[in-house]
Amino acid sequence: MSVLDVVRYHAGATIGGQALLRWQRIGLERRMRRPGFWKDPHIEAPLAVSPRLKELISRHYLKGRFANGAKKVAWVTSGAPVELLIALGYFPIYPENHAAVCGIRRKAEEIATEAENAGWSRDVCSYARTDIGTVLSGKTPVGRLPKPDLLLCCTNICQTVLLWYRVLAHHFQVPLVVIDTPFLYKEASEHEVAFVERQLQNAVEVAERVAGKTLSPKKLELVTRRSKEASELWRQVMEMGKHRPAPITAFDEFIHMAPIVEMRGEEFTVSYYRALLDELEERARLGIGALKHEKKRLIWDNLPIWYRVRWLSELLAERGVAMVASTYTNAWGELSDMIDPERPLESASRVYLHPILNRGTGHKLAVMKQMVKDYSADGVILHSDRSCKPYSIGQVDQRERLGREAGVPALLLEADHNDPRAFSEEQSRSRLEAFLEVLEA
Amino acid sequence: MSDLEAVLARIPSRAAAIAKHRESGGRVAAVFPIHYARALFRAFGLLPVEVWGPPRTNTTLGDAHLQAYTCSIVRGGLSFFLSGKLDVADVVLVPHACDSLQGLGSVLLDFVDAKRPVLTLYNPRGPERASLDFMAAELRRLYERLAEITGARPSSRELLAAVEEDENADELLGRLLAARRRFDVDERAFYRLVRAREYLPAAEFAALAEAALDAADGPEKKGIGVVLSGIVPEPMEILDALSEAGAVAVGDDFAAIGRRLYPAGASDEPFQRMAERLLGGPPDSTRGSPIDDRIAHLERLADCGGAKAILFFIVKFCEPELFYLPQMRARLTELGLRSVVIEADVTDTLPQQAVTRVEALLETVQ
Repeated sequence: MSVLDVVRYHAGATIGGQALLRWQRIGLERRMRRPGFWKDPHIEAPLAVSPRLKELISRHYLKGRFANGAKKVAWVTSGAPVELLIALGYFPIYPENHAAVCGIRRKAEEIATEAENAGWSRDVCSYARTDIGTVLSGKTPVGRLPKPDLLLCCTNICQTVLLWYRVLAHHFQVPLVVIDTPFLYKEASEHEVAFVERQLQNAVEVAERVAGKTLSPKKLELVTRRSKEASELWRQVMEMGKHRPAPITAFDEFIHMAPIVEMRGEEFTVSYYRALLDELEERARLGIGALKHEKKRLIWDNLPIWYRVRWLSELLAERGVAMVASTYTNAWGELSDMIDPERPLESASRVYLHPILNRGTGHKLAVMKQMVKDYSADGVILHSDRSCKPYSIGQVDQRERLGREAGVPALLLEADHNDPRAFSEEQSRSRLEAFLEVLEA
Repeated sequence: MSDLEAVLARIPSRAAAIAKHRESGGRVAAVFPIHYARALFRAFGLLPVEVWGPPRTNTTLGDAHLQAYTCSIVRGGLSFFLSGKLDVADVVLVPHACDSLQGLGSVLLDFVDAKRPVLTLYNPRGPERASLDFMAAELRRLYERLAEITGARPSSRELLAAVEEDENADELLGRLLAARRRFDVDERAFYRLVRAREYLPAAEFAALAEAALDAADGPEKKGIGVVLSGIVPEPMEILDALSEAGAVAVGDDFAAIGRRLYPAGASDEPFQRMAERLLGGPPDSTRGSPIDDRIAHLERLADCGGAKAILFFIVKFCEPELFYLPQMRARLTELGLRSVVIEADVTDTLPQQAVTRVEALLETVQ
């Protein structure tokens, strides 16, 4: 680390940048309080904490711009045990989250084309293509991504990430730590847990070597405690969707999940989710729903269609359909009970084995059926995501069984989470309208 | 008919091999790709017969469960299974290789009335020592399941004997691949021989391989040397296209063949030995090997065979293969090795444009 880089980091990101972002946030909060700010006839005004979320995300990427040289940077998968890196002082970058930002800002197609021009097939994951495109071209809507000193890849969300991180390791020529989590067709065996725990120990050794410092058990405990707390709060946030009308929808969650994905282990993440929960509880108490006229309730399965989140949310809201929960956002809250700050690595080996994406198709069906019950849902939309095979394979049977075993209609909606070229708006609209007619019948 | 042709004429079909094994009272395991311990099954008296598609399978039945963006090996395999053509199998194994095969295993366990036990095997990709121990434990778990199913409990000695037979068969497979230029038969016939490893008992394959090696005494085949890489050489018309364009396959990096040239293990403990073998094989995208390792391996294959080009023959939608290609091809070009990528479905015929692309590749290196 150079002194100059540290000074630049603090001047640009933690002092000047933060002050600017705070000022922008206060301005937005003021504008939101003005009468007439919100005019949508179907969707309720945004949550008052929303500007804070924007500030958190912007600050994260702003820090990233200045991180090289000032902090060790690790690029990590969304399901990776990031706590050990946070405890070692790494600045984490989540390529998947960055790709989603590109998708929301409608930049993914242009950036992914850079990867396609370099030879990557359009049949590989669109998140990966987007990020590889950024790596090759420097194009990104977040200013600049810092180069990694370390790559941490955990296969608990898909096998694709390992292939993707091999590409990154070859490009950047930096160490890649792989945490391979055996796929759980049924229950986890002891040898599977032991395998993950050994890999975590190995990950600590590599991360310490790259960071040039030793992991403090106390710091790891603290970071894990914050992760657990944030994860519990996030679960409670999502459970607010059980209220009728639901004060939060899955579309809101897709946006508000950013801190639990990319800022786990931080105190400000805990305090953000506490504020979000407080506001949702207040809305529930006052009977304010996320939709002004909630008539029907749905569950979402799979990643969002990032470039059409708003389109879809408005289309459903016009008909009074609230998307009250999703299996995707649920993944960052459902395992909070398993996190044990006093045994951080041991509990992490179980926690990081058990995300929904690392479990069998029958388990996902059981989760959806339970969600239908818990959230009093009238139906399910399963996003058949061309770019996410582990999430999508099994959906054909799941859709059929939801109808037969849970008594709710389910729709398989063909799209891709980040590539708009694999999405047909008119075809999707027709299918959704037909599905909604069934719901309303 | 030459001596070599006479040997090749003795290769039984999959159906014939299964019938013969059944007649002797043996049981059959249908095995999906890619990596697993054949010896473990053989020790239980089970004949592992691999299911790679199969070619020309109508995928309609599988399409009722899987999206169209799932690869043809998986859709074809499930269709084949649902059509009843795998009813001859007493047990099914789905080793873990990628998201799609993982999904297939899960769908077979959760949503399809398989009518027979469906087993899984996870191939680890973690650090070497931890992976080795995990693999051995995973094989022990599979042993217990097979013991439950068959009622047998092969001893360590029996397991080691099966492993040694397998090691011998793999050593002979390696010799066949190394001597391929001396085989005065077309590429299809050669691949029928080496792919008999996918369904013949190790000892039978070894006898066949030894006879073929003895009979292969012709002069070296002439032509432009090409290394073949990919998952499986299906549709096999690609081999005809290569021959017609004046190429000679001199190296094999197919996951079904060359990437399963497992070295002999060292341990006296059978599960550890099987694990050593499985994890000691050549680099493979489906095992998440480093890209540099794959490049070095392809470079070695090209050097040994005097190849001038590499044909990447890819199953459509195969993410493990597709991710590695751009960086590998860039480096191989720097090393003077031209390459082309051809995608095809194993259940389909070879598109004509593939033939044109093979011809174009060879023209550029002539």
